[in-house]
Amino acid sequence: MRLLAPALVTAAVLLSACGTTETPTTTPTESTGGPVTVTDARGKEVKLDAPATKVVTLEWAETETVASLGVMPVGVADAAGYKTWDASVPLAADVKDVGKRNEPSVDSIVALDPDLVIMAKGRYETLVGQLEKYVPVVVTQASDATRNLDRLREDTKLIAQAIGKAAEGDKLLSELDTALADGKKAVEAKGAAGTPFLMADGWLEGSTVNIRPFGKGSLVSDTAEAVGFKNAWTGEVDPQWGLGATDVEGLTAVTDPKTVLFYSASEDDVFTTGLAQNPVWQRLPFVVSEKVVKLEPGTWTFGGPKSVIHVAEQFVKAATA
Amino acid sequence: MMRTAVVTAGIVALIAVLSAVHLTQGTASTGVLDVLSAVLGNGDAQTLAVLEGSRVPRLLAALLLGVALGVAGAGMQSVARNPLASPDTLAVNAGAHLAVVAIAAFGLSLPTLPAGAAAFVGGLAASVVVLGLSGGGSTSPRLVLVGSAVMLTLQSATILLLLMFEQETTGLFAWGSGSLTVSDLDATAQMTPVVAVAVAALLVMGRSLDVLALGDDNATVLGLKVRRTRVGAVLLTVALTAAAVTIAGPIGFVGLSAPVITRLLTPFVPGLGRHRLLLPVSGLVGVVIVLGADVLLRAVMGSAAAVRVPTGVMTTILGAVVLIWLARRGRSSGTPRQAPAGRVGVATSSRRLVVTSVVLVVLLVAAPAVGLMLGDRVVLLGDLANWFAGRTGTALTFVLDQRLPRVLAALVAGAALAVAGCGIQSVSRNPLAEPGLLGITAGAGLGAITLITVVPMAGAWHIAGAAGAGAMAAFALVYGLAWRSGLDSDRLVVIGIAMWSAGMALITLLIVTSDPWNTAKALTWMSGSTYGRTLEQVVPTALALALLTPLLWARHRELDLHSLDEDTPRVLGMRVERSRLVILLAAGVLAATAVSAIGVVAFVGLVAPHLARSLVGGRHARVLPVAAALGAVLVSVADTVGRTVIAPAQVPAGLVIALVGTPYFVLVLWRTREMRT
Repeated sequence: MRLLAPALVTAAVLLSACGTTETPTTTPTESTGGPVTVTDARGKEVKLDAPATKVVTLEWAETETVASLGVMPVGVADAAGYKTWDASVPLAADVKDVGKRNEPSVDSIVALDPDLVIMAKGRYETLVGQLEKYVPVVVTQASDATRNLDRLREDTKLIAQAIGKAAEGDKLLSELDTALADGKKAVEAKGAAGTPFLMADGWLEGSTVNIRPFGKGSLVSDTAEAVGFKNAWTGEVDPQWGLGATDVEGLTAVTDPKTVLFYSASEDDVFTTGLAQNPVWQRLPFVVSEKVVKLEPGTWTFGGPKSVIHVAEQFVKAATA
Repeated sequence: MMRTAVVTAGIVALIAVLSAVHLTQGTASTGVLDVLSAVLGNGDAQTLAVLEGSRVPRLLAALLLGVALGVAGAGMQSVARNPLASPDTLAVNAGAHLAVVAIAAFGLSLPTLPAGAAAFVGGLAASVVVLGLSGGGSTSPRLVLVGSAVMLTLQSATILLLLMFEQETTGLFAWGSGSLTVSDLDATAQMTPVVAVAVAALLVMGRSLDVLALGDDNATVLGLKVRRTRVGAVLLTVALTAAAVTIAGPIGFVGLSAPVITRLLTPFVPGLGRHRLLLPVSGLVGVVIVLGADVLLRAVMGSAAAVRVPTGVMTTILGAVVLIWLARRGRSSGTPRQAPAGRVGVATSSRRLVVTSVVLVVLLVAAPAVGLMLGDRVVLLGDLANWFAGRTGTALTFVLDQRLPRVLAALVAGAALAVAGCGIQSVSRNPLAEPGLLGITAGAGLGAITLITVVPMAGAWHIAGAAGAGAMAAFALVYGLAWRSGLDSDRLVVIGIAMWSAGMALITLLIVTSDPWNTAKALTWMSGSTYGRTLEQVVPTALALALLTPLLWARHRELDLHSLDEDTPRVLGMRVERSRLVILLAAGVLAATAVSAIGVVAFVGLVAPHLARSLVGGRHARVLPVAAALGAVLVSVADTVGRTVIAPAQVPAGLVIALVGTPYFVLVLWRTREMRT
């Protein structure tokens, strides 16, 4: 009879759970413009009755882009992480967290009743089909190591169009172009064009150090090259993000004494804590010449136009200081 | 004496050669000639820096790790009087690792020594639990079973932390398999005295350990303070393991393999039987294993690519082979094992049956209903009714429509694993056998993830097919290796556990080399989750369940007979081999489709049949449907809990199961032990 107790409890729970949560009336969303059709990174035509105003974004770059176009997303994946890693555009305090970027919660997304979900390609293929049955989904390319700046422009235009901010999108992109062009001019004026650089981030666990170089084709690399730098990292990188993996001695592949090291560390700074005493590190050209630049905390190296502008500014500043 | 010297010299020479090769491998262009000239005193500054800043720290870390783990393993095997004991099988590695990861997850960055102390506490706690539960020490493989179960729980907790703190712990995934990419000598230098003192202390205790090997009673008669010796030795070996984990994460199975290989040398070198020799030589052999694995890894993959691959992956695969070999070599445990059915009361009143059935049916309805209702957004029964009637609004329809495949996936996968568990337990006559512990689910996972790696957009059916192939291959291997003129049930499970470790190591290897920036995907896959399931993905499992459960149920008498003993079925004229093959094939397919639906989940196939037998007795006509219902309810509840507790983030169902299943597993072990005595 020990089985009766759980059965009773279950029954009680079930009975108390009767009722509904829905309010029958649905207020029609006020339309702010005519129907929009965009072709997203999958090559799929996404039709919206009106430009989206209640947007959920599932990756930080998309969050940033939407926010910088003047539309505050109603829900974003890993809001707390965004605040640490991408400081270029602040989020409003009431933006809802919809779970981790690797597994955003469909429940949370839907609870916000959005009219558009923007997500990055490659992160959760199965989710797209599920979400799409109910809410339009726009998939951005997110990264492409063969053409990352152009990719960024396309993604930005795509997002801008979908949320009815095409003009703002163009403005943001021309802001980006101006920043890159001005940066390039400034770098050239200093005679620093062609300065080789190495960009990396890294982490230290136990006494194990991992260094992740941003190879040719990564967004940071394309940005840096646009303002006149030259990527010194030639090791193997992945085709989407343009990232490599190495350890401290792998950095000895960089030999040009003019090389500047840029690194990002919004949390732990392994380059100064973990490596400072290392003899290989101490002999690296950029360490010898003291050309080691830490990007400001909150510089998201996989972000949108604002992040790219922020990265470009810091590179230019380093070259012209 | 002469032979001892020769063998030791041989091992030292081997270490010297491996070290030399090791020094020439690395991501810098510094090669053999540079190192050679540096050694001869003509090295350029760059070469010297590379040696000093990277190669030598790496080498020294490997040397220290090898010694620490080799000696620790030898010590643990002596204390437990069991060749299967090791930092891995006593869950010391896992406990220490959990402690270190927990500290990192909470954003603390501790210096080496306090981190080592935390690792020590974690490892000690784990080993105390395992040794306590397995009865201190004995020659039975039970130790491995308890240890593996505890290890699974600890790993689940570790993975849980990794999932919740993805950004903070990116590198910990690879590190979790043991990595040698040390940045400096600090950790090694700080841990060296710990290792040196512990090794020295163990050597001083060598005589006592020799006496302890004679058995507790004899040792007491000879005047040894058995308890004190044992506790002292455990503390020292745990300290050694914790030091190793602090430096490089858990490097798998070195502590198991090194002493075993050393003991293999005993026939040639009789002196190795004594601890004063056994311990240091095990340490040296440990060094050979760590260095050898690292050298091999870099030679095969190239130094640049090998940076991503944890050395522990290699040693784990190697260690799995040793574990299998050990299990095959070991004699059967002697006492013929009782059939699982014989262990619980068979007589069941019809009233009890009715109550059980009613409760199960209620649960079978309630679990998915609650599963549909709970989540980030709580919906009520009225909503469910509306939804069934197609009267819900867009948002709610959406929530419920996407929850449905997850709830269904949990249900069918749970049922499939439970039915598979029934079949496997009956045929192998082993109450501990189940698809997870036999390496079948790991094999299926390996198959599926291989396919996803090669063909990222593979459809549900292809994934199920690949999982099936992997499961069958793993099972054929486990079964074939365990078969030595009959099946010894403990041997089967130990080999299964080895296969499971190797499978998980291979999955880690595949993921870190193919999709290095997506550790979360890997973790989810390896720990069983219903995330992002679609109805299409549920279909293969549902079909397998619908076709194979009746097939197995129709053979319920065969299942009953199989679980009696080897001879009765033959006497009764059953075609034993054919029947066994059919049952195992069905079970394998069920387990594989379950994996393709929700990833690698352990313990369900074990827990559900046990619970079923305790509810309705041992006859499979009843056990099968009851186990299937229990399995479905179990995974469904685990899934609901996982989706709800830390919402909007979620815990994979398999982790919840492991956290709940382990205590049950240990309980089963405890009870079977009582039955025997």
